[in-house]
Amino acid sequence: MNDQVNSRNVTTDRGANLTIYEDPAIGDTIPKMFWSRVRDWSDRVIIREKDFGIWQAITWAELGARARHVGMALQSIGFGQGDVVCVLSNNKPEWVYADMGTLGLGGVCAGIYPTDAPSQVAYLVNDSRCSVIFVEDEEQLDKVLQVRDQCPTLRRIVIFDMEGLRELDDPMCASLEAFMAAGAAHDAANPGAWDAALDLAKPDDLAVLVYTSGTTGPPKGAMLSHRNVIFQCVNGTRVLPEGGDDERLAFLPMCHVAERVLGCYYALYSGAVSNFIENPDTVPENVREVQPTVFGAVPRVWEKFYSGIMVALSDATPLQRWAYEKAIGIGYRVADLRLAGDPVPAPLQWRFKLAHFLVLRNIRRMIGIERCRWLVTGAAPISPELIRWYLALGVDMLEVYGQTECTGLATAMHPGEIKPGTIGRSVPYAEVALSPEGEILLRGDHVFMGYLNQPEKTAETIRDGWLHTGDVGEIDNQGFVKITDRMKDIIITAGGKNITPSEIENELKFSPYIADAVVIGDARKYLTCLIMIDHENVEKYAQDNDVPFTNFTSLTRAPEVTKLIGAEVEKANTKFARVETIKQFRLIEHQLDPEDEELTPTMKLKRKFVNEKYSGLIESMYQTA
Amino acid sequence: MSEPLLKVSNIETYYGPIMAIRGVSLEVPQGRIVTVLGANGAGKTTILKTISGVMDPRKGTVLFDGREVTRQNPDWIMRQGICHVPEGREVFPFLTVRENLIMGAYTRNDRAAIARDIDMAFDYFPVLKERADQRAGQLSGGEQQMLVISRALMGEPKLLLLDEPSLGLSPILVKQIFEIIGRINRERNVTMLLVEQNAHMALSTADYGYVLEVGRIVMEDDCKALMEKEDIQEFYLGVKDEGVRGKRRWKRKKLWR
Repeated sequence: MNDQVNSRNVTTDRGANLTIYEDPAIGDTIPKMFWSRVRDWSDRVIIREKDFGIWQAITWAELGARARHVGMALQSIGFGQGDVVCVLSNNKPEWVYADMGTLGLGGVCAGIYPTDAPSQVAYLVNDSRCSVIFVEDEEQLDKVLQVRDQCPTLRRIVIFDMEGLRELDDPMCASLEAFMAAGAAHDAANPGAWDAALDLAKPDDLAVLVYTSGTTGPPKGAMLSHRNVIFQCVNGTRVLPEGGDDERLAFLPMCHVAERVLGCYYALYSGAVSNFIENPDTVPENVREVQPTVFGAVPRVWEKFYSGIMVALSDATPLQRWAYEKAIGIGYRVADLRLAGDPVPAPLQWRFKLAHFLVLRNIRRMIGIERCRWLVTGAAPISPELIRWYLALGVDMLEVYGQTECTGLATAMHPGEIKPGTIGRSVPYAEVALSPEGEILLRGDHVFMGYLNQPEKTAETIRDGWLHTGDVGEIDNQGFVKITDRMKDIIITAGGKNITPSEIENELKFSPYIADAVVIGDARKYLTCLIMIDHENVEKYAQDNDVPFTNFTSLTRAPEVTKLIGAEVEKANTKFARVETIKQFRLIEHQLDPEDEELTPTMKLKRKFVNEKYSGLIESMYQTA
Repeated sequence: MSEPLLKVSNIETYYGPIMAIRGVSLEVPQGRIVTVLGANGAGKTTILKTISGVMDPRKGTVLFDGREVTRQNPDWIMRQGICHVPEGREVFPFLTVRENLIMGAYTRNDRAAIARDIDMAFDYFPVLKERADQRAGQLSGGEQQMLVISRALMGEPKLLLLDEPSLGLSPILVKQIFEIIGRINRERNVTMLLVEQNAHMALSTADYGYVLEVGRIVMEDDCKALMEKEDIQEFYLGVKDEGVRGKRRWKRKKLWR
């Protein structure tokens, strides 16, 4: 790390002591930071991408040149400061070229999920007043062409991958290659123009638009300034330390704040290498190939890895199973001592080393986390049991919390003080507090500028300088924050009991057979639950137990599967008080896909949609009583 | 519902270490035509081979007429009433058409009835009568297909397994052959399990269909209902929304619902 970094201690009006780092050498805007890195680290690798089966490296110099050509091409068509670019693509290095090219001109860059429908694309283009859109390929292009008549601000479409589009002849469209060539020509004809543009952006200007999937109403564009992002980069990479020797996997959607800021921008600041996955289906293979050294993901991914190992074990030989039980048992003992803050006695340490050498190491390698210095989980609640399992494997899993509105990170655990069930303590550079109603409040330079075009929503969210997160929680005397639920998700049963569904749901999701669950019970006599089964694992169970089925629907209808899930629900029920137990459940019969409105792009069930769409099924659970 | 003539449960079949069938269950009711659709390598042929005993499943059972036929040898299974018409028109090329048909009746010794059945085959496929004394290897592709179907009928099957009868045939021949397959089913009450890539023909001939993809069934329904489904239309029937540019190349993601 750079030794020019300054730190200062601040005591707030509430008496909180903050430690804030500043790194003047990198400047105060994203383009300045990016170009200082390009200058200083030009020969180092920053991105890797798999091309025809081989991981190809891209250096800072190459990345810089490409971003500059994109930027100059934008300038040549009259795109300037404050104008908006949208990127409609899966994660690819081209995403970063477009992003850095746009920001270099003082422009604004927003991501659109590649799973969004054409009508949603039109909404986002219009809401952001986007003038240039970058699309991944033919499929994404067709979405834009379908709705461009409804998008008056849109002037240009740039396509990353021209496969199948050789004959495309449309004055509005250009390939990225041709676009960048035009940019290079414009650059040559206008020396000095690029460097002048880099100075345009000011720290408090809007830089990044992140649309948050609204469970109610249309998505809201959260505005992040250069200051927000730089503040997070300089400080956040000290909470989750990473540097030029680290390898990470760029696999969460770039449209999400987690990948955009905590992943991509952190890496651009720290120099960690971003390895871009081939596509969302190849994550497990890509993790094994890359063997990252730092790894942030959502609980769904950690659950998948875990159930993958559990299923592999059920096919293992008795000797292998015995070895696993022994080794993980030792791992759990070490983990529990660490969690309690007690020292690990030397003999146990030795046994753990042996267990690691003989067994646990292989499991870690199978998942792809053997080299990981830390794992981070966030964006959704995770079962404490799962954290304990990763600790038993000997890798630190740190839970973090944040949201788009605080530029991604607000609380985090530290390797020395892991406390499952909490989301760690406040980051040292900003404040966390509770409102009288128990809502979690945040304050600091990471709090966003507001929602685009929605001043009333902004005023509701930021009050007296505090960001109101909408999450309800507690803070213990050591400063550990615990989230109990989303404010609006809290269930009040007909009996008047307040219940936080996510705790129960997490317990259910810990089962390898349950992919996701939604607990229902607001104003009802008892709790019920809709369950989305884990296709692969349930299918395997059915095969192993000779349960006949044909497709997904028939699998969910098999009485044996209902029994299996019933047993899993009962298992979860034992951990809760009587009023909090699930009395009835139903399985969702369709295999859901991120393109379905019931799921978020990160494959979580949307409570609101599920409640509406399956109202018949839900009612059926209350009729029998 | 009465017990189906053929009931396949949870079969898993391997080629060496490669798992070709990943847990397939299906049923063929008496007197019906059931079709299995799927792309190359989906495992359609492997299912038929597993039923007829040419391959043995590592897991699962095949019940025929209420009786387990799993892991029996093909000859025994054939004697129970399952005749397999393999893919690719496997005639005996150096035998005449008539001799080929007689080979199909190798389990029988009722000469009069065999002669009657040969005439029956010639009724269905008059062109075979014209070629009765020619070597089968000299027949055209369509004639060979007719011959192998007829040869299978000589075994007096209760269940006929048909593996891609349309393979490599001209559209007009395909149409003729499928018409006759439908007639045989109706007139002779032969139950059929039909594996096809030509989804259009298969769906219009059969009563019930399964869609197989990489060794798994992803969809099943009445053929009429299947033809209405968007995924089937796009991926199997070639109905395509050309998109705004009039030449869409990318494929929608299959969702099978």
